[in-house]
Amino acid sequence: MPSQRSANQWVEAWRRMRRQRLTMFCLAIIVLYIGLAIWAFTGVGFPDWDKGDYTRNNEGCSLQHWLGTDIQGQDILFQTIYGTRVALTVATVAALLAAVIGTVLGTVAGFFGGIIDELITWLYSTLASIPGILLLMAFAFVLKDKQFDLFGWHFRLTGINAVYLALGLTGWVGLCRLIRGEVIKHRDRDYIVAARAIGVSNSRILFRYLIPNVFHLVIITFSLSFVGYIHAEVILTYLGLGVVDVPSWGKMIRDGGQELAKGHWQQLTAAAVAIFIISYALHIFGDALRDALDPKLRGEGI
Amino acid sequence: MKLWIGIGVLAALFAAAFIIIPMLSSSGDDAGEMVRHIALGSKIRGLDPQDIGDTTSSSVGSQIFETLYTYAYLKRPYEVIPLLADDMPTISDDQMTWTIPIRKGIRFADDPAFREGRGRELLAQDFVYSWKRMADLNNRSTNYSAVFAGYVVGLDEFRDYTANNNHVDYDREVEGLKALDSHTLQIKLTKPHNFLLYWLAHLPTAAVAREVVERYDSEIANHPVGTGPYILVGGYAGKSSFSMIRNPNFRGEHYPTEGEPGDKEAGFLDDAGKRIPFIDRVEWSIIEEDQPYWLNFLKGNIDSAGIPKDNFSQAITVDRELSPDLARKGISLNKFKDPSVYYYGFNMDDPVIGTNKPLRQAMSLAFNRQVYIDTFLNGRGELPKGPIPSMFPGYRTDKVNPYVAFDLDLAKAKLAEAEKIQGGPIPPMRLALGGTDTTVTQMGKFFRIQMKQIGLDVEVDYMTWPRFQEAQKTRSHQLFGLGWVADYPDAESFLLLFYSKNRSPGPNGTNYSNPEFDRLYEQAKGLPSLNDRIPLYQKMEDIVIEDCPWLITHYRLAFILHYDWLKNYKPNDFANGTLKYQRVDMALRKRRLKESE
Amino acid sequence: MTAYIIRRLLYVIPILIGIVLITFLLFRAISGDPTDRIAGKLATKEYKDELRHQLGFDKPLWPQFSALHKGDYREFADNQLFNHFKDTFTLNFGQSTQYKQDISTMVKNGAGPSLAIQIPSFIIALFLEITIAMVCAFQRGRILDRLIVVLSLLGMSFPFLAFIIFGQYYLAYKLGWFPISGYPSHFGPGVLRYVALPVVLGVIAGLGGGVRFYRTVMLDESNADYVRTARAKGVGETSVMFRHVLKNAMIPIITQVVVIIPFLFLGSLLLERYFGIPGLGAMMAEAVDQADWPVLNAMTFVGSLIYLSALIVTDICYAMVDPRVSLR
Repeated sequence: MPSQRSANQWVEAWRRMRRQRLTMFCLAIIVLYIGLAIWAFTGVGFPDWDKGDYTRNNEGCSLQHWLGTDIQGQDILFQTIYGTRVALTVATVAALLAAVIGTVLGTVAGFFGGIIDELITWLYSTLASIPGILLLMAFAFVLKDKQFDLFGWHFRLTGINAVYLALGLTGWVGLCRLIRGEVIKHRDRDYIVAARAIGVSNSRILFRYLIPNVFHLVIITFSLSFVGYIHAEVILTYLGLGVVDVPSWGKMIRDGGQELAKGHWQQLTAAAVAIFIISYALHIFGDALRDALDPKLRGEGI
Repeated sequence: MKLWIGIGVLAALFAAAFIIIPMLSSSGDDAGEMVRHIALGSKIRGLDPQDIGDTTSSSVGSQIFETLYTYAYLKRPYEVIPLLADDMPTISDDQMTWTIPIRKGIRFADDPAFREGRGRELLAQDFVYSWKRMADLNNRSTNYSAVFAGYVVGLDEFRDYTANNNHVDYDREVEGLKALDSHTLQIKLTKPHNFLLYWLAHLPTAAVAREVVERYDSEIANHPVGTGPYILVGGYAGKSSFSMIRNPNFRGEHYPTEGEPGDKEAGFLDDAGKRIPFIDRVEWSIIEEDQPYWLNFLKGNIDSAGIPKDNFSQAITVDRELSPDLARKGISLNKFKDPSVYYYGFNMDDPVIGTNKPLRQAMSLAFNRQVYIDTFLNGRGELPKGPIPSMFPGYRTDKVNPYVAFDLDLAKAKLAEAEKIQGGPIPPMRLALGGTDTTVTQMGKFFRIQMKQIGLDVEVDYMTWPRFQEAQKTRSHQLFGLGWVADYPDAESFLLLFYSKNRSPGPNGTNYSNPEFDRLYEQAKGLPSLNDRIPLYQKMEDIVIEDCPWLITHYRLAFILHYDWLKNYKPNDFANGTLKYQRVDMALRKRRLKESE
Repeated sequence: MTAYIIRRLLYVIPILIGIVLITFLLFRAISGDPTDRIAGKLATKEYKDELRHQLGFDKPLWPQFSALHKGDYREFADNQLFNHFKDTFTLNFGQSTQYKQDISTMVKNGAGPSLAIQIPSFIIALFLEITIAMVCAFQRGRILDRLIVVLSLLGMSFPFLAFIIFGQYYLAYKLGWFPISGYPSHFGPGVLRYVALPVVLGVIAGLGGGVRFYRTVMLDESNADYVRTARAKGVGETSVMFRHVLKNAMIPIITQVVVIIPFLFLGSLLLERYFGIPGLGAMMAEAVDQADWPVLNAMTFVGSLIYLSALIVTDICYAMVDPRVSLR
């Protein structure tokens, strides 16, 4: 049975990755970052970001503040750790949103074909034709500070929510196209045709057979696009579209850039290095995951 | 192995490019030519004088266009003197008719728009035309309301006539605006206008030539042609650097012979009586990011610079003097008072804060101005008293404003009072700030931290400047941060911000309204003598201090750095087009730049 | 063939309509009426009404079907949606809300400086990337290849903004090799001096990703059957690389290049802002800052148009060159 085969596929992939020491090291780094993010979420042992100490601002490295303090007198090391929370949240939410939209639209288009397929293809071709950065800026900017009333549920989009939404709403195109292609391939295979012939319902075919067979694509795209979202947060924050009042890496780079000429290199460097390490780990891990799950994809520039 | 050689050559080429490219064509200034290098911190919005509203465009445009009057370059307190006018205006006894003689022999710069390309003489009709342009709704000038609206006989009607009319007839007569002959201008007013003279020194009232406007039409903002000392070469639009050269048609003007005490010693009168302008060419560049701006100044690529906040400690030592490093490079520091007040405004229409005077006072008391000025302005601020800054006539050194002190105990007591009025704890408040950059977010955070000291929660909304303005017009802010820079050296320029008829969408952003204040304001505006107005101004200030619609943070002090090769550089808050007075010692500049290499 | 080209062109129409629809939703329907902002602080109501009329914001947003019932086609057609379509397709983008300048002029002015950075970056980067990728294919699996793989990942992981800030500070200010920022007012050899550092930074920052991509392409080709055959026949490795691998890798390379070229026109947002280059990237960043919708609208449409044109041109080229591409 195909679904059995795909379960084995995961185990097999994991076994293959286990053997690669670098991959495991990178996984450890990723887990460490997730741990730090969770720590930042709990807030235990974290400084209060709404407090300033103007007698001890812009200090250099010391035992008490390992990486010194910023202009508000707040600890740069803790800011960097707290930035993990923002970065991972943004990337996770955006990647999830993109994965959900991409998977749903991709499978639906591939499976049902016809006018639905035409419509979805039209939608993603249109989005794909608009330069990515423009689309992203436009979405983030237009959505910012908007009030919405959806089904009686009233909510307001602050900076960071708009960023989630903008990244998610613009990031699904590649995955959707990929899944649609894959589903079309599977749709005409014997086992699906056979399943149809014995009267298995559409939803069962979708969830039992098709989605498990394309799910590795979702995972691969998810892990590989993650880095992109972390970097996008930096640019959006630079443009004034991201978070403002809590520490984030983008904010630290933007603000720290102005401190550089003054000799305060810590803020900029800390954030840059933090991004650098997690990006590197994610790249290696994502590649390994892709190679383990579906080596063919490498040639397709994913 | 061929491949390896190829790669080696490639790497060598790449490395060479690194070294060679920077050496290519360093922009050499012609020997003997006096060149001034200036950097602007933001882009030019347009050089149509009637439409200029921002300081950047104004600082560029004022080298090209001239007004009837201006402020003396060196003298303090500021004094209005004739520029294109031949003399001060003759004002009728009822203060309703102004007659202004125009200097003879002044010519516009040469331009293909004129007959045979030669600039013609400036006439009184040019002012009539230019001011009608300001009134014309099709030109979308934002200056009309401040300058002429409601004062000049027939001009408001002319403005109405231009609505829904794409072919405005500029020959249509306006009774209050007449050229009596080619060099006499007459203005008839509907009511006395004591500040008109200041506005006639304000760039939007500068003269443009009708031929030029008609020739360039919608591109006029990129084709400025005026009577001033400089002409723009090849437009500014879409460029990050552009040049100006001397206007050969510029009349013989002379460097002032009088200044304020100390000017002689400072060398400001060395050139007294000499023919101006001195500088042959002006090289402007636009540098929007702080870091490159500052780095360019340190390299000597620009002659003068304000100090970006974050580079302050590098330039200025703790005791607010120039750091020895920079002094050695020949840089000196100018400190001067800016005609400005910075504040957080409380929206008086807001149900929570607008009706709760003790709450406003409590917030004002909880804000530590000294730390704010030291940390975020690097000391470039003066502790405030009321809405009239210290450089203005009417400021009282002995006045005590009880609510600008930092006093947490009193603040908490006031807050307790406020909670009684509110009937419970004060709900979280929202502060709106226009901007999302580093400086603004740091200030927002500071404000929040200050209010937290007395247990008040504030949420900060950072919005783009346009969105901020929109929200202000619709009175939807609760608290907002802003500054105000005076257009002329009279305290009325600040007090108008509390006049109830100026409420949003007017400049009174707090929507403050007090009948007693209004009465005093109207009374003061009718008095022609400043000395008569001052006591009224002070009464008005007292009312505002007690009602506390503003949490005043500071009066700004400007610190400007310049190299010693730039001479006659004296900051002037109100005068336009001061480049003509400045001089650059090119030999010294060359030497300094060589030394620093 | 002509039929194919026509079909290919027709296929673009729904996408163009989609793009204009999206720009309408974003920049007109959701973002709202900019009149108050343009009018300035002290404007009167009459003036604002007049301005609103000039900008067309006094019209209904969507087509009024009630007018259709009445048989009034004029009224039906006179709405913001239809006007937006008309204006966009005739490339009539109006004026920038902050500079009161025609947007088409602004785009024309900005394209030069943007391309002055982007074209050299692109050419140098492509050249370096393919060369390095070939080294990898040549050395596949050996230490140099691995080192390059590691280095290119390092390059991809460093945040671009921090890279620019550091680069400007050390290379231009501390070492003084380059001017700190700026762009000459006239195009000429002086431009070279100012674009050098942005180009260098742009090339280095993009190198990692590029090398990684082309390396994969090269490796795939060098493992192909015909290459193995050539090797088996005793053809030298250098000759295999240039004659077979590079030649056959050209197709995926060109496909990739065609996708990149249209985006060169958009400039680089961060580089242009930090180096004071008056290009389209800086223009867009500022438009975001100032909520200058018409500018963003124009850039979106023009950018998409260029991209679509490039796609069509490549498709047609393929069809002409390769008979296997079905002319369906």
